Amino acid sequence: MSTKDGTSGVFGLEFGTEDRLFRIGLGISGVIMFVVGVFPIYWMAQSSFKTRQAILNSASPLPGPESFTLSNYAILTNSDVSLYVINTGIVTLGTIILVVIVSLIAGYGLARFDFPHKENFARFLLFGYMFSPIVLGLPLYLIWKQLGLLNTRIGLIVALTAISMPFSVWLMWKYIQTIPRSMEESAWVVGASRWRGFRDVVIPQSQPAIIAAALFAFALAWNDFTFAQILLPRNEATTFAPGVFRLITQGYDTSWADIMAVSMMMTVPPMLFAYFLQSYLLKGFQIRSL
Amino acid sequence: MASETIDVERRRDGVVPFHRLPVDRETLAGAGTVLPVIVLYFIIAILPVSFAVYASLYEIPLLNPNWEFVGLANYTEVLTIDRFWGSLWTGVVYMVGSTLFQLAVGLWLALVLNRITRFQKVLTAVIFTAYLIPTIIVALVSLFMFDEFVGVFHIVGSEWLGLWAPNNFAIGSKEWAMPLLILIGSWKFAVFITIFALAQLRAIPSRFYEAAKVCGANKWQMFRDITLPRIQGVILVAVLLRSIFMFNKFDIIWIITQGGPGFATTTLPILAYREAFVGGNYGLGNAMAVVMFVFLAMGAIAYFKLFNPSEEVETST
Repeated sequence: MSTKDGTSGVFGLEFGTEDRLFRIGLGISGVIMFVVGVFPIYWMAQSSFKTRQAILNSASPLPGPESFTLSNYAILTNSDVSLYVINTGIVTLGTIILVVIVSLIAGYGLARFDFPHKENFARFLLFGYMFSPIVLGLPLYLIWKQLGLLNTRIGLIVALTAISMPFSVWLMWKYIQTIPRSMEESAWVVGASRWRGFRDVVIPQSQPAIIAAALFAFALAWNDFTFAQILLPRNEATTFAPGVFRLITQGYDTSWADIMAVSMMMTVPPMLFAYFLQSYLLKGFQIRSL
Repeated sequence: MASETIDVERRRDGVVPFHRLPVDRETLAGAGTVLPVIVLYFIIAILPVSFAVYASLYEIPLLNPNWEFVGLANYTEVLTIDRFWGSLWTGVVYMVGSTLFQLAVGLWLALVLNRITRFQKVLTAVIFTAYLIPTIIVALVSLFMFDEFVGVFHIVGSEWLGLWAPNNFAIGSKEWAMPLLILIGSWKFAVFITIFALAQLRAIPSRFYEAAKVCGANKWQMFRDITLPRIQGVILVAVLLRSIFMFNKFDIIWIITQGGPGFATTTLPILAYREAFVGGNYGLGNAMAVVMFVFLAMGAIAYFKLFNPSEEVETST
């Protein structure tokens, strides 16, 4: 292997050439990724500003001056659709709050208290990754019906919280382990109770983990179709995903332009989070084996 | 001395006589903190799975409160209808196809995002958006773009590339339904692998690469000897999770094809849902859920073989 003369790059190329090829490949890859990633969103956005007729006429890349309209966004004032969006908002918010509270407490306990069967609990926790909405949703339907939780938002919130547990508890467990125990101990020395130490020392310190867990819970709840489809069969109670799906399959008077407009509205929060909170998302996944 | 400590303990314990219980205060408090998780798991997993096993032994018409005990008849029915085996096969094709494609694309995305210097934040945001967008929107937009009257991809596929006839709805055709379903799903779900791998790649100290460069290693050698060993563990886990998730995928298939055309994209979850809620045979649907749960449990065993929790978190402090 000759290293001095600089000809041991990939395929026996010189290092300079190799480096240039690498940069070109990187640039081309970046462009392809950008186009493939953005195109569907761009198409959705531009279609949402077209009149119904313009969409039916031709697949043009931009709305023309006479085919431009904002009226598609009026679908958000449609009582059904606005109800779906509100329901989704409530369910998402409820899930985030419940996930953060439960996982913070459990993560703190796992990291700070000494009790037996922790390893078994870890396995038990990770088994949650095998929870599949369809496998659990089918039997849950009748159980929820018996308990009166069918068609209630709280029923869906509980279900979604449970399936985000393995990620969020694991995250908190690992994260709180990285907070030095001595910080809490110094609080105890000046007379703080365990609870005060948890509230005033641990919670502010675990803010990045809280954001990551909240983001993950958001992705799960905002995204959910299967649980909502099974557990919220009544129209007034349902969330965005099954609701809009119902509008389309029942041949309701909804055009592609309307659907694109409402889809666009639901895409804005994920886009903002993906831009501003990407480092938290990565931090959450830094843990080796979720 | 001894009486003094007991005295102190009694005062501290207050109402609950901890010193007389078989467990100590620490254990009790620790168990208390994880209790909500256990309760949640109990309601959402243990209870439904036990209920599914129980319900699968009955003939349950969905709208009729009378259950008829049929023993294992639902299971024999599940295992003897060819739709079950056909769906199992379709599901395996879907799972393997999706996972391999997502692995290749996801890894590529992660490697590029890790090394690209310009527009890194914007590009990362674009890729992550794909993961955060609800499945329903991915499905609806693709239905719109493949629509045989107004869809842009339909025009590209039929007029530019000649892949399908101009009046042929590609997602509704037997030969294109499955590949397109895999492609559409991967647009979103490949990012799962990317996030796993990228988080790991970012954690590799850059001095490793600098040292390798000084020693005259080329890009491929750096990848093989520094990058790959660091990420292969996490990739294995991500692939395993991805396969399990894809095998149990319901939402995107149901929204886009509802299992059609014919049974071309009917995987097990679709079949179970159809039997339970469209066919109205709730008992049979539950029997299928139990069968799927057995597959999941096998996945779980593989997962735990790959990964030992005590390596990750301190299970004994």
